Amino acid sequence: MADLRASVPEYDKEDGEYKVKVICLGDSAVGKSKLVERFLMDGYQPQQLSTYALTLFRYQTEVGGKDVCVDFWDTAGQERFNNMHPSYYYQAHCCILVFDVTRKVTYKNLPNWFKELRQYRPEIPCLVCANKIDDVDYKVTQKSFNFAKKHQLPFYFVSASDGTNVVKMFREAIQSAVGYKENTTDFTDLVMRELENLDDLSLSNDVDSGVDTAGNSAETHTDEADEEQAEGATGTT
Amino acid sequence: MSRQYSLRKCGIRFDPPALFVTYTDKSAGKTRCRTMPIRNFTKTSTVTRFVEDFRKNPRHKKYLEDVPKSQLEKLLRLLQDNLRGMSLDQSLNEIRKEYSIDPNEDLNKVDEETLRKKKTAMEDSFEKNRKKPGDPDFEYEVERDFQPVETCEWDSGDSGSDADF
Ligand SMILES: Nc1nc2c(ncn2[C@@H]2O[C@H](COP(=O)(O)OP(=O)(O)O)[C@@H](O)[C@H]2O)c(=O)[nH]1
Ligand SMILES: [Mg+2]
Repeated sequence: MADLRASVPEYDKEDGEYKVKVICLGDSAVGKSKLVERFLMDGYQPQQLSTYALTLFRYQTEVGGKDVCVDFWDTAGQERFNNMHPSYYYQAHCCILVFDVTRKVTYKNLPNWFKELRQYRPEIPCLVCANKIDDVDYKVTQKSFNFAKKHQLPFYFVSASDGTNVVKMFREAIQSAVGYKENTTDFTDLVMRELENLDDLSLSNDVDSGVDTAGNSAETHTDEADEEQAEGATGTT
Repeated sequence: MSRQYSLRKCGIRFDPPALFVTYTDKSAGKTRCRTMPIRNFTKTSTVTRFVEDFRKNPRHKKYLEDVPKSQLEKLLRLLQDNLRGMSLDQSLNEIRKEYSIDPNEDLNKVDEETLRKKKTAMEDSFEKNRKKPGDPDFEYEVERDFQPVETCEWDSGDSGSDADF
């Protein structure tokens, strides 16, 4: 466990590079990996984190005149048995939630993924995308999906296969990630990270009970809005 | 294959084991058949390894380019089931089941090999509809605006299931 922190990138430390982390979430085989591949195209060396079977893709871009280094995190199949490791959510700045328009069950499972995301990252921007529209002759694009509307999340019809709206969606994801990072107090994140560093990150594989470990409970409270709510509740208003 | 040849069909022969493709040679305007012997394939061989070998084989590659990977896997499975003494009907039934997509099946809960087969089946349409660099109509940024006009039926009749979220 000692080399865990060395192998997992830090996103909230300001060491010259402006970094954001974007994660993809959704059922097995909805096309998460293909979407990231389509956005990045060739020439990107995925970086494999040895500690966990996670893949991350680093992408350099510019947002509002600022150089930004974006890490896209992709699972290596941990979505199976809904066994996402807490470190996947850790310090994420934006989430792309994917379902497959050819398979109803992947849409029906969105609330579960969203719920888990919110347990770890209550405030980060989340985008919903309906993938594989090429596979149903685009007919599905005449329909509206209530999930995104209900949670007021931006929604995209995409195809990793022919590329429809993939670049647009990823660009907007990067922008919201940067926007989120700009608006959270680095101070809060910093304090939380210090607290976290006191403990060994002995994260268990069990996501449910994993919430009790130091790493996770700190993570759940990293968001500024949470802190403010807590203070508000003690009667400052 | 697409430039000079166009694929007509791809099949398998059990004895002696061979894959074959029939295709039209566009320049000559003729239909031809190419037979590719399957060597050292047994009851316990790994189908995917043989498929990969065929797809990479410098002599066969260009004839197999347009054959979906799932089809090659299914053909070799037919051969393997035959070697194992299974009836053709039963074999076809099982293969069809394994490579078909049930929109209600939760693929988070299946074993790795099952998932791999489903993904292989899904790859057919992915490859068919794919636009990649080098294609004449490829563009990196493809933007399309869609205006939904009706509610998706997936949203009806489930009021309880995600009530708190
Ligand atoms: N037709 C079509 N197939 C897709 C699309 N995106 C992914 N697929 C196929 O769906 C399967 C699963 O994709 P993958 O990226 O591995 O899904 P993941 O498990 O969510 O990472 C693969 O066989 C892909 O070829 C798409 O936009 N259109
Ligand atoms: Mg994947």
